[in-house]
Amino acid sequence: MKKQVSLHYEFLKGLWEIHPIFKQALGLCPTLAVTVSAINGLAMGLATTFVLIFSSVIISSIRKIVPNQVRIATFILIISTFVTIVDLVMKAKFPELSKALGPFIPLIVVNCLILGRAEAFASKNKIFRSFLDALGNGTGFLLALVVLGSIRELLGTRCIFGFQILPDGFSTWMVMILPAGAFLTLGLLLGFANAYTKWKKEKSEKEILITN
Amino acid sequence: MKKILQIILVLTFTASISGFVLSSVNKWARPFIEENRIRAISQAIFLVQSEGKKYEKLNIGELDAYKVFDENNNSIGFAVVHQGNGFQGPIKLIFGINEELNRIKSIEILEQVETPGLGTLITEDDFKNRFKNLNAQSIIKIVKGKKPSNDYEVQAITGATISSKAVVEIINDAIAKLKKHNGIEK
Amino acid sequence: MDLIIIFIGAALINNFVLSYFLGICPFIGVSSKISSAISMGLAVIFVMTITSIVSWLINHLILIPYHLEFLTIPSFILVIASLVQFVEMVIKKVSSAIYRALGIFLPLITTNCAILGLALFAQMRDYSLIESIIFALGAGSGFTLALVIMAGIREELELANVPEPFQGAPITLIVAGLLALTFMGFAGII
Repeated sequence: MKKQVSLHYEFLKGLWEIHPIFKQALGLCPTLAVTVSAINGLAMGLATTFVLIFSSVIISSIRKIVPNQVRIATFILIISTFVTIVDLVMKAKFPELSKALGPFIPLIVVNCLILGRAEAFASKNKIFRSFLDALGNGTGFLLALVVLGSIRELLGTRCIFGFQILPDGFSTWMVMILPAGAFLTLGLLLGFANAYTKWKKEKSEKEILITN
Repeated sequence: MKKILQIILVLTFTASISGFVLSSVNKWARPFIEENRIRAISQAIFLVQSEGKKYEKLNIGELDAYKVFDENNNSIGFAVVHQGNGFQGPIKLIFGINEELNRIKSIEILEQVETPGLGTLITEDDFKNRFKNLNAQSIIKIVKGKKPSNDYEVQAITGATISSKAVVEIINDAIAKLKKHNGIEK
Repeated sequence: MDLIIIFIGAALINNFVLSYFLGICPFIGVSSKISSAISMGLAVIFVMTITSIVSWLINHLILIPYHLEFLTIPSFILVIASLVQFVEMVIKKVSSAIYRALGIFLPLITTNCAILGLALFAQMRDYSLIESIIFALGAGSGFTLALVIMAGIREELELANVPEPFQGAPITLIVAGLLALTFMGFAGII
């Protein structure tokens, strides 16, 4: 009987401990592609979180009756249904955003994050916990997308969410809007995230040594 | 045997529910998507034919062309949507042209994936304005590095010659097709 | 002539990995050794080509005639999943060494956004059957090229003094960024 983890933790862990991008390195394709601006990052984050939550909840509720051999096929079927729903709703109600995000909305279906969480968690846990897990991972993902999008938008066009922040005198870093900028920014952010994790670990290890 | 039955049942059940849900959402979404498409086209048409109040789609197979009318139902020319290969990918544009098909009124770039900062400048007013009142009697030409000396010439964007040329070629191609349809000799 | 442009466009100018960000997961996961990069690349080219044919058939024989475009995503992804399963069985029979080298990344080709992306792009751009096949060959080759170059660089990086936090994914992404900048130079070919 495994130890029951607090419900708070199921949610919070997605925000940093097992952060989809910074710790699990999942969902990198859309992360790089849509973060040319903060609003695109936000929209993609919301769409992905929606699919993640609904898929996880459904998959968790049928986890006991799905035979092992068709596990992946069934999960993919469920995930692609919700992705299509998001795609259709966006095309109907948010046409400009839909155009801006382009093919990456349908590509949510192959976002390793969703299938990954389904495999690793939703298929083995109760509904409410799966919901929290999905909410946490989705929120973590969304925050990272908004941060990345803001950095690239700020340095590439002087604006964040369309509001000009930097003065006109600031020479824009065109590379930030290009694919190269995406790779570089994410690579640097990932490196710093790792460095921070390492620093914290060493700090707490030192404290343990001292108190002994 | 029971296992196989279970597998088939689960898959069929999931696929059916999925299909049902999707076709319902699709039914709901269809009218909105169509509305958006029409709104986008109307906006684009009236952008390149500023006195236009009504339009009518023409039945030309290979071309997306519209006859435009003003508030008194007089024909003020055409609006044509056409696309072709740009530098990095396809460019889709719309342009307004007069009834006699010899003067461009205005152009708008609808879709492009050109190089940011260079090719994307084709969407700026500076470039689009070069097409206002352009003589389209015969083929429109691109000139590089100097101001146009004839009223059928357009100056290319410095550093984005291919993108600029692509725009001109798309327009030339569309006009040729429209003239052919209307039986006008080039 | 158009076909050549489609091929070079997909392979170099709009390289699937470096311009469209498709196929990043395997790009980071499998690019540490040149040999596994080549194997993965070939598997991807194969899956992409067959996928382009099958998805074109589905699109033109079922989806469009019966106005079922909204079933594109589920049908495409199920086709890809089955194809990958099939390729996995074939590789296992033909060479267990390659099978072991590719490990978890073989089934992961299913979630390789590059394959689904390819099918969706071909549908969006309304390519003919021949154009779709050439597009797939170009995209797959470009993917393989990026993967192999990356593997070559990473093999060298093994000997370099990369700071610990940056080892693995971060430095790979930074190198990919520089590679992407380089590939932008191809934009002048056509």
